[in-house]
Amino acid sequence: MAAPSGIPAAQPAASSASVAAAPPRPPLVWDPVVRLTHWLIALVVLLNAVLTKGGGSLHVWAGWIGLGVLVLRLVWGLIGPAEARFSAFPPNPAAALRHLGQLARGRPDTHSSHNPAGALMAYALWALLAVTMLTGLVMTGGRTPMQLDDERAAVAQGDWSVLVKDGASADADDGDGDGDDDGERGGLGKAAGEVHEVAANLILVLVFLHVAGVFVESRATGHNLLRPMLAGLKAGIRRRGHRE
Amino acid sequence: MTPAADPRAARRRQTLALAAFLVVQTLAAVFFVGDVIGDLRANPASIHFIFEALVTAALALGVLFGTFALRRTIDLLRAQEAALDVARGALGEVIDSQFADWGLTPAERDVGLLALKGLDVAEIADMRGAAQGTVRAQLTRIYSKAGVTGRAQFASWFVEDLLGEGLRRAPAS
Repeated sequence: MAAPSGIPAAQPAASSASVAAAPPRPPLVWDPVVRLTHWLIALVVLLNAVLTKGGGSLHVWAGWIGLGVLVLRLVWGLIGPAEARFSAFPPNPAAALRHLGQLARGRPDTHSSHNPAGALMAYALWALLAVTMLTGLVMTGGRTPMQLDDERAAVAQGDWSVLVKDGASADADDGDGDGDDDGERGGLGKAAGEVHEVAANLILVLVFLHVAGVFVESRATGHNLLRPMLAGLKAGIRRRGHRE
Repeated sequence: MTPAADPRAARRRQTLALAAFLVVQTLAAVFFVGDVIGDLRANPASIHFIFEALVTAALALGVLFGTFALRRTIDLLRAQEAALDVARGALGEVIDSQFADWGLTPAERDVGLLALKGLDVAEIADMRGAAQGTVRAQLTRIYSKAGVTGRAQFASWFVEDLLGEGLRRAPAS
């Protein structure tokens, strides 16, 4: 009997019975949480690096959404399916270098989750995303975009009291520099701004390397690494297109 | 798309929808947590803060349990797909070895397999680029080698195996 045509089956399915000692291969399809969080993060990075104005309302909204998505992916790394869990791709710089060496010679090993170099890339991106989001929170005083929008609307109407009240209450609560968001633009806020910018630029560099890595790895191993990250989405779009 | 693949595709779409819902819930939880932290700095003793903190904690817990449930759903789906593949592979092996036992020629095996899949003589002839008379003669030879009276009995020969204790194999891996 022929294998089922159409959408490729999820990871452990195909040919588990017939091929006993096949080499491990990356998932045929990543699970939906991995796919959704991957593309949402990509969208947030694209938005906030290229399209939105730094500090603008949309920029802060996108940053918070990215924060939520990152939190979900990290939780999924603890309790998700096997190949999405951190234990499936521990950070291992030595293995990553070995993998890059194999890649340079054109014969890289295949892996059942991220390859060691890709794993290191994932951790680096997550760390930089976290740094960018946290410094962004410091720059906005930890206020949600709703609160920021409210305050901006009030100020635009000529009601400056929100700024005064906020600074005063922060000073009254504790003097450890929580109120640095509006009044004093120096110190912590300025440092956070610098780090925010550097980390954001590093993310863009890593994104470029990531895309290049996926391309090179796909060519070298013969496994298309992009399709498993797209699969469900593409199938959904195709099917919807058919109905219309 | 084969009809057999459809329920699985539907379940896959369902997990995708569940995952999308989970993402939205997580975003809501993160925004609420941010709001609660803001309130914490403003007025930690107020009833408003305590109530909101409790609600947010409940939401965060709910998201966590939703994540667990989604993980279980995905595991279940994969187990079913793996089992189906094993069964499909096993049936294919049974058919192959039975055809060999009956001493079918390669051409007869092809025709026999197509007949098992429910194609009629005209369709088989069309697919193989042969005359209908040839296919009919091949089918007759297959039935006589298998010792069955016709197509219905030929097909039921294999279905019988599925209905009984047969094909109860664990995955080889």
